[in-house]
Amino acid sequence: MSTAVAAPPHTRQLRVEDLSVRYGGVRAVESVSFSIAPGEALGIIGANGAGKTSTLRALMGLVPRAAGTVRYGERNLTKASAHTMVRHGIGYVPEGRHVFSGLSVEKNLLLGGYSRGWRKANQEALDGVYARFPVLAEMAGRPAGALSGGQQQMLAIGRALMPKPSLVLLDEPSMGLSPKLVEEILDILTGLRAAGLSLLLVEQNAELAFGATGRCLVMENGRVVMEGDVARLRADDRVQRSYLGL
Amino acid sequence: MQVFLQTIVGGLNLGAVYALVALGFALVYRTMGLVNFAHADVLMIGAYIAATFTVSQHLPFAVAVLASIVITGVIGLFIERFLRPLEGRDFDLMLIGTIGFGIVLESVATLIWGATGEAVPSPVQTRPLVVFGASVPTYDLVVMGVAVVAMLALSLFLERTRRGVAMQAVAMDYDAAKAVGINVGRSNAIAFAIGAGLAALAGALVGPELYVSPTMGGSIGIDGFAAAILGGFGSIPGAVVGALAVGLLNSFSADYFQGYADLATFVLFAVIVMIKPTGLFGEKTVLRA
Repeated sequence: MSTAVAAPPHTRQLRVEDLSVRYGGVRAVESVSFSIAPGEALGIIGANGAGKTSTLRALMGLVPRAAGTVRYGERNLTKASAHTMVRHGIGYVPEGRHVFSGLSVEKNLLLGGYSRGWRKANQEALDGVYARFPVLAEMAGRPAGALSGGQQQMLAIGRALMPKPSLVLLDEPSMGLSPKLVEEILDILTGLRAAGLSLLLVEQNAELAFGATGRCLVMENGRVVMEGDVARLRADDRVQRSYLGL
Repeated sequence: MQVFLQTIVGGLNLGAVYALVALGFALVYRTMGLVNFAHADVLMIGAYIAATFTVSQHLPFAVAVLASIVITGVIGLFIERFLRPLEGRDFDLMLIGTIGFGIVLESVATLIWGATGEAVPSPVQTRPLVVFGASVPTYDLVVMGVAVVAMLALSLFLERTRRGVAMQAVAMDYDAAKAVGINVGRSNAIAFAIGAGLAALAGALVGPELYVSPTMGGSIGIDGFAAAILGGFGSIPGAVVGALAVGLLNSFSADYFQGYADLATFVLFAVIVMIKPTGLFGEKTVLRA
């Protein structure tokens, strides 16, 4: 499982301060701050429309960051545009998978390593992803759009792993998957943590977020309303009622 | 039999020209998801530039074609840069923007070269070959050869190179393409420049066969567009097959229906597209526009 995905343990900390997102006049995210220690997994849970995805997209630079700063290790990425994030070691698994559906599985993965070069530069990483997800190796020549939902999710994760990131941002990897496949996603995320990667996991499925991370933020209406260790959040009345359905 | 063969030769030649036009449509669509409605007018500019260089500057035809490709490529870059603020925001406006650029190019051509048009002598003066009684002008063979080479080169570029695959990825998923590190703006600029270069190549090559005028883009653009749709919009081999089909259709209906040739061609075209809306080689790879 731990086939060389990440290089030696990295030492970069992600620090997000006062991040805000506005769409027209609407405030989708209101001064959200958090940090992720090297190798740590942080979860963001919350209902639909709470601002989780916008937070992640603003972090990636896919929507304009209205305010705040983003730092990763030594670098200030507040003004960095989306297509440069991967070069700073940040991988992104978008909500709803968003594989390149008309291209083959292998080309999807090679595109994951686009920033490093093409076939030659990516062969080792490609073998690593195939070792981690053997089903992708079997499907290498198939168009990504022909894969099942679970396989597409693996492809999206594999694509993000190709450039050997030190931090992976995942947006609702459980979306539309059966409980059994959600279990598999949990195993995959556990494997990534074991390999020393930092993770930022946005999830509506609080159970998955609690299983895969050590610490979570709870977002409501664009703000962080609660924050704490998974054990503490699990025991909280409000979290149990609103997010765990207990 | 001889008439039949001659009609086929004419159809294939038309088809080769349509293929070059259709390839440009297909490339820009496959890599940007955009139908570039200025394409036919870029073609007309390309035809004028090549004609100007051969007729008044007396440059060799090949040099004039190359110059025309380079200059229109730059025009393509300019159009893309101008439309870039709309990319990823409002796609319909971008589409309308290309229509606007088409009108601008037509007016500019009228200002520079006048509205009357210009005849260009054929650059290949050897006698036609005779095959089974049908006469095949050698210049037609040149045009067909160029169309085949352009198709092969484009296919290899899109399927085998890092840049080509990345350009297709941009049209399939804009945000995911950015997230893997593709500079989307640059990718689109290259797509537009190559598309414009192809238009110029087509324009320069049809110049000697047709009359070069500011409005020449109209009919040839529609035929090329129909060819691209018939082949399956965005498919490179499809563009060529569709173009040959439209060329042959045109050629035969001109024989049988004379004045109603266009009507016959497009009625048949409409029927085919109604039966198979994705075209002959259609894949559903691009979801927008």
